Amino acid sequence: MDKATLLEELSGFLTKDQINTNYDDLYDASADRYKKYAKARKVLDVPLPTAIVYPNNTEEVSKLLVFCNDNRINVIPRGGKTATEGGLENWKELTLVIDADRLNKIIKVDEYNMQATVEAGVRLQELEDVLRARGYTTGHSPQSKPVAKFGGLVATRSIGQFSTLYGGIEDMVVGLECVFPNGHISRIKNVSRRAGGPDIRHIAIGNEGTLCYITEVTVKIFKYFPENNKFYGYLIKDVDTGIKVLREVMANGYRPSVARTYSEEDAHQHFYHFHDGKCVLIFMAEGNKDIVEATCRGIEASVEKFKDGILEYVDSKLIEGWFNHLNWSQKDIDDEFEGMLEKDYHAGFTTEISADWETIPKIYANVMNRVRNEFPRAHDLTMLGGHSSHSYINGTNMYFVYNYNINCEPEDEMRIYHHPLQTIIVEETLKLGGSMCHHHGIGKYRNEWTKEEHGSAYYMLEKLKETFDPNGIMNFGTIYPQEEGVKFQK
Amino acid sequence: MNLICLVKFVPDVEDFKYDVTRNVLIRENVKMILNPDDACALAFCLKVKEKDPETFVEIVSMAPTSVVGHLEDLLRRNFDQATLISDRMYVGSDTYVTSRILARYLEGKTFDCILTGTHSLDGDTSHVPSQVGEALRLHQISNIVKIEETQFKTGWPVVDVDSERFISSYRVGLPAILSVSKDSKYKLPFVKFKNLDLDVSAKIKIITNRELGFRADEVGLEGSLTQVAHTFTRNLQKEDRVFVKTDEEGIDTVYDFLHAKGFI
Repeated sequence: MDKATLLEELSGFLTKDQINTNYDDLYDASADRYKKYAKARKVLDVPLPTAIVYPNNTEEVSKLLVFCNDNRINVIPRGGKTATEGGLENWKELTLVIDADRLNKIIKVDEYNMQATVEAGVRLQELEDVLRARGYTTGHSPQSKPVAKFGGLVATRSIGQFSTLYGGIEDMVVGLECVFPNGHISRIKNVSRRAGGPDIRHIAIGNEGTLCYITEVTVKIFKYFPENNKFYGYLIKDVDTGIKVLREVMANGYRPSVARTYSEEDAHQHFYHFHDGKCVLIFMAEGNKDIVEATCRGIEASVEKFKDGILEYVDSKLIEGWFNHLNWSQKDIDDEFEGMLEKDYHAGFTTEISADWETIPKIYANVMNRVRNEFPRAHDLTMLGGHSSHSYINGTNMYFVYNYNINCEPEDEMRIYHHPLQTIIVEETLKLGGSMCHHHGIGKYRNEWTKEEHGSAYYMLEKLKETFDPNGIMNFGTIYPQEEGVKFQK
Repeated sequence: MNLICLVKFVPDVEDFKYDVTRNVLIRENVKMILNPDDACALAFCLKVKEKDPETFVEIVSMAPTSVVGHLEDLLRRNFDQATLISDRMYVGSDTYVTSRILARYLEGKTFDCILTGTHSLDGDTSHVPSQVGEALRLHQISNIVKIEETQFKTGWPVVDVDSERFISSYRVGLPAILSVSKDSKYKLPFVKFKNLDLDVSAKIKIITNRELGFRADEVGLEGSLTQVAHTFTRNLQKEDRVFVKTDEEGIDTVYDFLHAKGFI
């Protein structure tokens, strides 16, 4: 099928305003924030998708998928466009981007059963605003909260900045509706818990648009007690000390909403007004008063236990001020875009990994060592550091953060800077048994390590793809490595 | 067209070192960068070459052999040849002697135009282009912010020159020495990813005093009539940092600061 025929056939079952072929919009849809700099400079090397389509309901999503499946047309499911790992990048000449923009209804807020149901295109901020007005919260606050939409959040196994208390999106989703390439609509019912076989929610959660299209989500809601929020901040000796305190808090069963350790370099960019060249450890306790008080006692006791590594207490007002400016709005994203047009500069990149408590400090040290000694453009680095920001009973994550003077053409930047840095981080993580992606998803640029990430369990991942998407129309190149895509990577 | 571009690699101002006992810049083991004005001159040459692929661009630089890597880096951007004039005898040469050395090499060359930068970050005297022009008996113009490309090929380009208060336009007959300012819009492209490891060693020619034939008392410190009498380090003061909030008081503070500095 050629592009003209595809568009003609689409117009047979979609209205004109549901089919977008505007050049600028297609260019925007051809890549995500992984190639933000090349995209801003208009030098993307990937094909434009054929069209962006806007289904009005689940049935139309089903029709579209059947059409694409029958005609072997690549499909990229899209929500709030905040992907950072190439998950929204297009690698096929014939591609439809199915945008959830019109699946925008908040279907139900069920306060008694503590859950809310929304369509995939509802912005997280929108539901959060509705809930806050009633004294509730989703508990989910990724940096992209003002922009991100539920379909994308669930499809990428998103996590929020208060995850240590509320969990990741996978802990919040109680049920969902999704559509498979053959048009089948699956509704996973909303129950508190069940032992009805494997938990099939997790086939859809984190599928990154490679197995199905998520159309509706039901998430837990939580009572919101902002008046009880407590903040703690410390300048500490090193990253290791911070990790030890985080572990102490978690191992004793406390669940602060924020529990973070920053390296000196990363602290410099987040806490320029008080870091004093030191590592920073911060906590936030929230929830009902009794829980907050208990959590505060747990934090204080943990800090006391490792007091030799605590250099200075930070005024909690400063931490609260930081907390109030956590999220990136669309304006922040647009401002960065404008900045990239004018200068050889962007706001930097991150790679997020996870491992158990004893392994995280080793990965951190190994990565720092390798980057400084092996990365050919180490002299261009303007920032290299990291922070642990999501902790669990058995381990934590490490968010490597880096930026550099861009001394290359925009189209070469990823190959010369970001990807070699990400490669070092991923290799060191996998070598020590950690996970190469804590919460951004695999996308298209970490797919070369998907098999290594999953080891013998990759068999299960492969079978899911063969079963649900036998024609390989769903988000070609994402999660699953593809020979045809290597030219865009290397 | 045959273009020659004179370039200089200068110590990174962030990492500047000077031998105060010998009164010479320590150029070895210091991070060197391409002089920004010269980068603009090179960028203009590439623009000409882009439109007329037959254009031959030779880069000429006088420097220690430690800059060979930098020249290779430039050659990977589609320049045709790099000539490095390098001899221990030339160490400490002042701008006049440097100009004589460059001119002696250039007088044996055939070219349509010589491009240079106007100022250099380390010396900043802007002597060399005009002195080379004097030696070669060529017209020379500094502070060029634009060269009319279409007329360039005809041999009578119009150039726009930043005269501080005005932009003046001049028509100049080639061959001449055109010295570009970093305020021009010419931007040197980076090396393409596919060319990062391109072997360009065959395009580098090293010229020593054996070819140029100066006497020892004509070059270097001995042959230089001007010498640096004294150097000093600028005293930089650390300013106190002031943090303001995005409230009325913060806005007033920022406004007053900008007003006091004359920006508003």
